[in-house]
Amino acid sequence: MKEEFETTDMALFVRTSEESMHGWDRQRIVDALLRETYVDLDTAREIAKEVEDLILTSKIKMITAPLIRELVDTKLIERGLEQARKMHTRLGMPLYDVDQLILHPNKENANVPHGPEATNLTLAERIKKEYALLSVFSEEIADAHMRGDIHLHDLGFIDRPYCGGQSLEYIKRFGLSLPNSIALAKPAKHPEVLLAHMVKFAAALQSHFAGAIGWDAVNIFFAPYLVGMSDRELEQLAQMMIFEFSQQAVARGGQAIFTDLNLYWEIPKHFEKVPAIGPGGEMTGKTYSEYIEEAQRFVWALFDVFKEGDGSGRPFFFPKPLVHITEKFFQTPRHMEFLYHISEVASEKGNTYYVFDRGETAKISECCRLSFKLEQSDFEDAQQPWKMRYCALQNVTLNLPRIAYLAKGDDTKLFSKITEFMELAVKAHLEKKQFIEKLLSLGEKGPLALLAMKRDGTPYLRMDRATFLIGMVGLNELVQIHTGQEMHQSKQAFKFGLKVIAHMKLLVEKLSERHRMRFVLEQTPAESTAYRFAKLDLKYHSPKSGYIVKGDLSRGEVYYTNSTHLNVSAPINPIERVKQEGLFHPLIEAGALTHLWIGEAKPSKESIANFVIKTFRQTQNDQIAFSPEFTTCNACHRTSRGLQAYCSYCGSKEVDGITRITGYFTKLSSWNKGKMGELRNRYRNQAFIETRGGETVLLA
Amino acid sequence: MVEIKGFLETSFIDWKGKLCSVLFLPHCNFRCPYCHNHPLILHPEQYESIPLEAIFNRLHSLRDWIDGICLTGGEPTLHPELPLLALEIKKQGFQVKLDTNGSHPQMLKRLIEERLVDYISMDIKAPLDPFSYRRSAGVSVNIESLWRSIEILKEEKVDYEFRMTVVPELHTMEDLLLLGHQVRPGPRIVLQNFNPENPLDPSLRKTPPFDPLLLKEMEKTLQKMV
Repeated sequence: MKEEFETTDMALFVRTSEESMHGWDRQRIVDALLRETYVDLDTAREIAKEVEDLILTSKIKMITAPLIRELVDTKLIERGLEQARKMHTRLGMPLYDVDQLILHPNKENANVPHGPEATNLTLAERIKKEYALLSVFSEEIADAHMRGDIHLHDLGFIDRPYCGGQSLEYIKRFGLSLPNSIALAKPAKHPEVLLAHMVKFAAALQSHFAGAIGWDAVNIFFAPYLVGMSDRELEQLAQMMIFEFSQQAVARGGQAIFTDLNLYWEIPKHFEKVPAIGPGGEMTGKTYSEYIEEAQRFVWALFDVFKEGDGSGRPFFFPKPLVHITEKFFQTPRHMEFLYHISEVASEKGNTYYVFDRGETAKISECCRLSFKLEQSDFEDAQQPWKMRYCALQNVTLNLPRIAYLAKGDDTKLFSKITEFMELAVKAHLEKKQFIEKLLSLGEKGPLALLAMKRDGTPYLRMDRATFLIGMVGLNELVQIHTGQEMHQSKQAFKFGLKVIAHMKLLVEKLSERHRMRFVLEQTPAESTAYRFAKLDLKYHSPKSGYIVKGDLSRGEVYYTNSTHLNVSAPINPIERVKQEGLFHPLIEAGALTHLWIGEAKPSKESIANFVIKTFRQTQNDQIAFSPEFTTCNACHRTSRGLQAYCSYCGSKEVDGITRITGYFTKLSSWNKGKMGELRNRYRNQAFIETRGGETVLLA
Repeated sequence: MVEIKGFLETSFIDWKGKLCSVLFLPHCNFRCPYCHNHPLILHPEQYESIPLEAIFNRLHSLRDWIDGICLTGGEPTLHPELPLLALEIKKQGFQVKLDTNGSHPQMLKRLIEERLVDYISMDIKAPLDPFSYRRSAGVSVNIESLWRSIEILKEEKVDYEFRMTVVPELHTMEDLLLLGHQVRPGPRIVLQNFNPENPLDPSLRKTPPFDPLLLKEMEKTLQKMV
């Protein structure tokens, strides 16, 4: 229903988002208001007219559609039509920001390189983040996030679950048939093809998850394909696997796929009697215990590759190898030999993660750091391992120091605030769950087709098995604010930290029961959250926060201590760090981890193995990793130990430092300021005399 | 009693295969230009002495983890009370490792005979001739004493290793080979790369270390010299 225009003579052109210029047409404002909001026709016409008058009096010749929209919004505000204004909001970015983004690297996630693909990702994330905060989450939750009471992770990936744990058995059995791809591949007959399927599936999954893609028992599930292979062939396959995953820097945003390979030396109890799937997706008639030899040879070969490092001797950033150690490990022949082998890699390159699955309860490390105890239903799944697909739908992190500032030293208030923040997190989870369920309900024709596919009769993403992560940052600072001491400074302070986490653990259990969902505590990696919370608290809780945040205020390199960790700079000996931090681990189901920063030192594999066994036997620690530091030269392409200002081979200053930022290795040049502050502070078990800024200090 | 100037509670690197604590003793009769513990040698008075009792108290809680204690310095064998210290440590149930430059063979002999030490790591600074040694150790050294120490270790009454820090300014690959021919260390020799951070002689700060791969190769060659 076109109208007569009174202003067709208006010499005004509008630049639209459809790459065209239109002559002025007031009706477009009316149309948009009617389409997008609930305002009535009369109001819409009035507003359009008012905006037209405004533009007319300004005498401009060219106007952009976004500006018109903002002008319309001001009219909505004048009328008190707040809801309509929200619905009519435009998402986007200022020119200056886009310019900066295209020219400068993103430092929120060090795994994102800088390039056109990366910029695309960041741009898309910005819009989706705004969308999430405006449209997916309620105002209460969005505000809590903006204030920094809680942090909703990966908002730019609002339309995907957080991370997933995969089973190779799925592609072994069903082949590779992705909903949107044209070619359908039958189950692999050869190990190289299985690997190709795995890599492609991983890439497809990566574009459906925000975070890590974990693979369970990789060496065991590959084993039936490896029968009769020579050492040379096996070595080749291991190299292919690691290079494929480490060089997949062509996936989403030019990132490498964040891949975890879960590996075993033993055949863990829950896979012992499982019928093995072999080439062509056929059952081989044997169980996985009968393939232990192949599984062991393969995992050995994988670590040979890790030991070597990449072409210039650097550690592989991805995939991450997680070696699970169960009771049975120690009853499996040659386990010490293998332990030395992986410990040599830990010392030389740092890749090895030691995951401790103690007692009779088995665990699956499902993705980045999420592992959980297998329950009866999981043992049933284990009989049909292709069903062993898990996911965490979202991660919400609580700003623990904020709670302590608000409580002002009052115990009751502190614990009620924890409950309050926790309930916010739960509400956020419910809102995201509802949104993802909406997308999934569109099935194989919807945006999450891959996750809705039903090759085995049930959707790929098993919503009923999803977990909802509740993380924490800065327990150490909460304790410091509340009790006056950091956790490593006194027994009482440490105990108070434990009490807080025990309380949170009880709460998640209660909330899980109430909502019939699986909420679990997680040690958030908090690569940027630890920085963000510290910055926001400097803003809202100054001057107190100025004494609390860690790092260097003058450089702006501030952070809170990650999750339940002890102060990274405290000269705590590694034994105590592993013991003390380990006391939290039974309370934190989503795979907790203790980092041992070893810096330049290169311990013997025997000493590392010694430490690992004692950690298994004498602590409750769930997972440890040793993190060395490297300097890699961009001029001569060689890598040396320690963080140096110049290359120790050729003297060039074109060097990059490499070490773990949180759970993975990256170049220091990509780190955000908070993490740089943390790096400067990390205690690396130095010898007792060391130089700091030219000054000799005594650490003992 | 020997003054203890430093205490590192846990070390992964000072005793192969073990987790150990390290006690740092002051003073040294050598002045190796690449020494990185030199404040302990030149100005030990600036560090407070740590009472042995305090150390044992601390170690008590680490008892299930720490396998042994490494005595290093400085040069521990300069202290006549060293056997007493080793005995006290043994009484606490820990094994003892000694780092030495080999200049006091009679002390080594005594420690071994009285079973006060479980592992000895002897530093070798250069080929065993007065000129080379003077250059690397910074002072004149009685080569005879070094040979005595090497012989004592080679009797294999105690577990031991020879360790050499290799500095590009001071050592050539020929030196290493010569040393290998002289000492015939077998698999017990370990080569350690020079660390340019804060050496005694500041002019060495600019010296880049050896290529680690080359050093590893050389180590293998020396280890074959029995």
